[in-house]
Amino acid sequence: MGEKRPRSFYLLAAFFTAYVLFLYGPMFAIYILSFQGPDGGLTFPMNGVSLVWFGKVFSGSGIVDIGASFKRSLQLGLVVMALTVVLSVSAGMAFRRSFRGATFLFYVAIASLIMPSIITSLGIALEFRLLDDFIIKSGVGDWTTAMGLFTSGLGAHLTWTLPFGLLIMFAIFNRFDSRLEEAARDLGATPWQTFRHVVLPIILPSVVGIGLFGFTLSWDELARSSQTIGSVNTLPLDLQGLTTTVTKPDIYALGTLTSAVSFLVIFLALLVILVLQARQRRHGSDAGKGMV
Amino acid sequence: MSKSSKLNSRVSRRAVLKGAAGVAGIAAGSGALTGFPYVHAADPKVLRYLGTAVNEGDEISKKCLADTGIKIEYITATTDDVTKRVITQPNSFDVLDTEYFSLKKLVPSGNIFALDAKKIKEFDNITPVFTKGQLPNGKKIGDQGTAPWKVLYLEGANSKTFSKTPTEFVTLIPTVYNADTLGIRPDLIKRPISSWTELLNPEFKGKASILNIPSIGIMDAAMVVEAGGQHTYADKGNMTKAEIDLTMKIMTEAKKAGQFRAFWKDFNESVNLMASGETVIQSMWSPAVTKVRSMGIACTFQPLKEGYRSWASGFCVSKAVTGPKLDWAYEFVNWYLSGWAGAYLNRQGYYSAVLSTAKANMTADEWGYWMEGKAAVGDIKAPDGTILEKAGATRDGGSYDDRMGAVACWNAVMDENDYMVRKWNEFIAA
Amino acid sequence: MMLVFALFFLLPLLFVTIVSAWDYNEYEMIPAFSLRGYSDTFEGCIADLPNLCTILKTYLKTLKLCLLTWVLTLLIGFTVAYFLAFHVRSKTWQIVLTLLCTIPFWTSNVIRMIAWIPLLGRNGLVNRGLEGAGLIHQPVEWLLFSEFSVVLALVHLFTFFMVVPIFNSMIRIDKRLIEAAYDAGATGWQTLVNIVIPLAKPGIVIGSIFVITIVMGDFVTIGVMGGQQIASAGKIIEARLNALQFPAAAANAVILLGITILIISALTRIVDVRKEL
Repeated sequence: MGEKRPRSFYLLAAFFTAYVLFLYGPMFAIYILSFQGPDGGLTFPMNGVSLVWFGKVFSGSGIVDIGASFKRSLQLGLVVMALTVVLSVSAGMAFRRSFRGATFLFYVAIASLIMPSIITSLGIALEFRLLDDFIIKSGVGDWTTAMGLFTSGLGAHLTWTLPFGLLIMFAIFNRFDSRLEEAARDLGATPWQTFRHVVLPIILPSVVGIGLFGFTLSWDELARSSQTIGSVNTLPLDLQGLTTTVTKPDIYALGTLTSAVSFLVIFLALLVILVLQARQRRHGSDAGKGMV
Repeated sequence: MSKSSKLNSRVSRRAVLKGAAGVAGIAAGSGALTGFPYVHAADPKVLRYLGTAVNEGDEISKKCLADTGIKIEYITATTDDVTKRVITQPNSFDVLDTEYFSLKKLVPSGNIFALDAKKIKEFDNITPVFTKGQLPNGKKIGDQGTAPWKVLYLEGANSKTFSKTPTEFVTLIPTVYNADTLGIRPDLIKRPISSWTELLNPEFKGKASILNIPSIGIMDAAMVVEAGGQHTYADKGNMTKAEIDLTMKIMTEAKKAGQFRAFWKDFNESVNLMASGETVIQSMWSPAVTKVRSMGIACTFQPLKEGYRSWASGFCVSKAVTGPKLDWAYEFVNWYLSGWAGAYLNRQGYYSAVLSTAKANMTADEWGYWMEGKAAVGDIKAPDGTILEKAGATRDGGSYDDRMGAVACWNAVMDENDYMVRKWNEFIAA
Repeated sequence: MMLVFALFFLLPLLFVTIVSAWDYNEYEMIPAFSLRGYSDTFEGCIADLPNLCTILKTYLKTLKLCLLTWVLTLLIGFTVAYFLAFHVRSKTWQIVLTLLCTIPFWTSNVIRMIAWIPLLGRNGLVNRGLEGAGLIHQPVEWLLFSEFSVVLALVHLFTFFMVVPIFNSMIRIDKRLIEAAYDAGATGWQTLVNIVIPLAKPGIVIGSIFVITIVMGDFVTIGVMGGQQIASAGKIIEARLNALQFPAAAANAVILLGITILIISALTRIVDVRKEL
């Protein structure tokens, strides 16, 4: 570091802090209210202070198995994340050379963003209904439905995450210096080698970003899943379903726990990275520099 | 599918344990879900139960498993999502928990199975509120709106037409119902409330709320209009276009004047609005009032002189259900009506469909408090053991006969529903 | 990718479009060609002149909310992205700060929405704080269930959608360009206007596409934060759907799609995000 920060740094840092505080605004209410007393509700006033709601999250008593839907959402989110990254990066690469249907694909992606999620959801449900009818008619016994978490549910989520992934790829490849690739090709690298050793390292942090974005979008997705998920719900759907009856502060406790665990993981990861960097500096090695 | 999804969850649990191997596990899991062969041999009796969380009790499913060996898998969704799923994916559930007024929309889709009344053991003991529109003591009750007996029977096993006279083909077996009215915060209002007109009283500007379901919200408004003597409806649950215009005009004026704080769309929102003091008067459900009260906040389920707006729900079976599953569905419904579940519902402040069996499963004190309007002798407890009311309390609105006897209308879908929804959108945009 | 879209978007979209041209009555839809879903939507648009009809009023309101949200998310998002891209120097810290902004989104929106009441309500944290500080004597009512709260929640949700693409196009800017500008005597402001903004334009447009498309179709946030009393294009569709009037809902969705595509294509006409790939 060493060199002095300009004044604008502190102004912007203050702005950023304010933005983060704003982001966490409702979260503070959640954090505080998750320590609500046993008779307390979801709003102020606080009715005593206790940890009972944290216990409730773990004991899993309740109508729906939050733990199970948590895992389901996590699985779905991770698969969506992986597919979003792979498909977005390859589509992003493809768009750098113009191909037939490029404009069409671009507008389809945009349209997929615009279409209200509930309508997309409904359309997918109709499609699978027809598919089911077709399968049953063609004589497969005991067929119930092709709908499920990793068929229609996954598809629905991808129509939501892919447009984001694709458009962010546009931002990433914007003014990407193609001379680097040409140089690699001139040195006899195969297209895959060029991608693997030249392009990927440069865009890697952004690609990680897309993955994170994809996961977050899928994790929090509600309307698109509502008609496409079949007979098992994702976490947001279960939580929303729960609001149709007596809802207790255990959902806040879940929120507090999620945040706490995320903070812990990030803090630990940061610690590891800093320690590794310090060690690298000590050993004077430049391997992996610029990787993190 | 239940088979393979179970396998899937087993795979995933292991995957989660392994942590780093997570992604591989998921890949395996997704493969299992699409391609796993269906095995019949050790099939457990599983029913997929689609409904809102209101009637889905953990205790109910546990007790049901213990009594009948049927495992209930709850699929919880909002009221709106439930009805949509019935239309779009009849294959994703077996038993459906829905309200009578939805039937007018659901039956034409052809996705509802006509149940055989003869296979329902307690069918003849179901309260006459459903079958004849009268109390057990013979008193006739309000029949405006989509009253259950209007949509209870079908003309034939595959018919989509409701029969006016009893047949053996039943659309929906009633389980739970109630009489709704306004909930109020007596500590903030500080004066007696006795009429529906108070909902639109400017005194409560910015502190009133109604339900955000157009077909029900408009009926609450109609109760107000009629109570204020502006118009008498032939049927509040089936208005003419002119009546819709009139009601919406009054609602629009109230909205423009800032009468409503918010419209609530689920149980939890109604509790939060009331408990936080955002609203002091709003249409509400009985257990929601109980919930607010159990937080130590004064809240009354206020009986009003014009009467209650009632609703009823129960079980439908998906047309996609066949074979042994259908038998389990009948077994489940029969179990549900056999008393234990009824008592459970009664203790939450709802009413159960077969009164005699529920009574046998409740203490005399519980029955006296919830059903007969008597003062509680001991503390009244919720099914989970928390104290709802102290000894000496009486229920708002009194006994079953007093409350159900004062029903003025039922939740409904109108013949002019399409027009009404258009007007509702206009009302929101105003 | 095309396959995914074909299977899970284009085909469903086709069904939706077909359904939008079906006839329907109060209780069911009838598979016969009819444009009633469309004509009903524009009911009274000519008859009611000079007053605006429902659909126009609704779209005006939606556009207003959309515009406000867009301006605010752009300003905040740009500033945040600028800070992250130019002032946070190590990649590690960039990632950590990004994650910090992502964590709130890992608590389900269903829960976060509920939490606005205890934050902004009559007895909420903000009102309590203001009263405690002696700034107000009566709780401020317009904090919740108003256009203010709708825009606030939308900005809260979607600023990050602006940050990500803008940040990504900013880190592509060659730092030497900016140094050169300074060396040539440009002020910070001049550098910003003449170098950073033009070069970050694709990111800005992409972020704008995200925000505009989502807000145009939103009904959940506008519904909850507006106390279900504020009209939006998405909300009309939702009301129709919940009444199970699928053809009308589908027709409205097709209209919404058409209008928003027009906005977006106008936007991409100004800046072609695909030109400089």
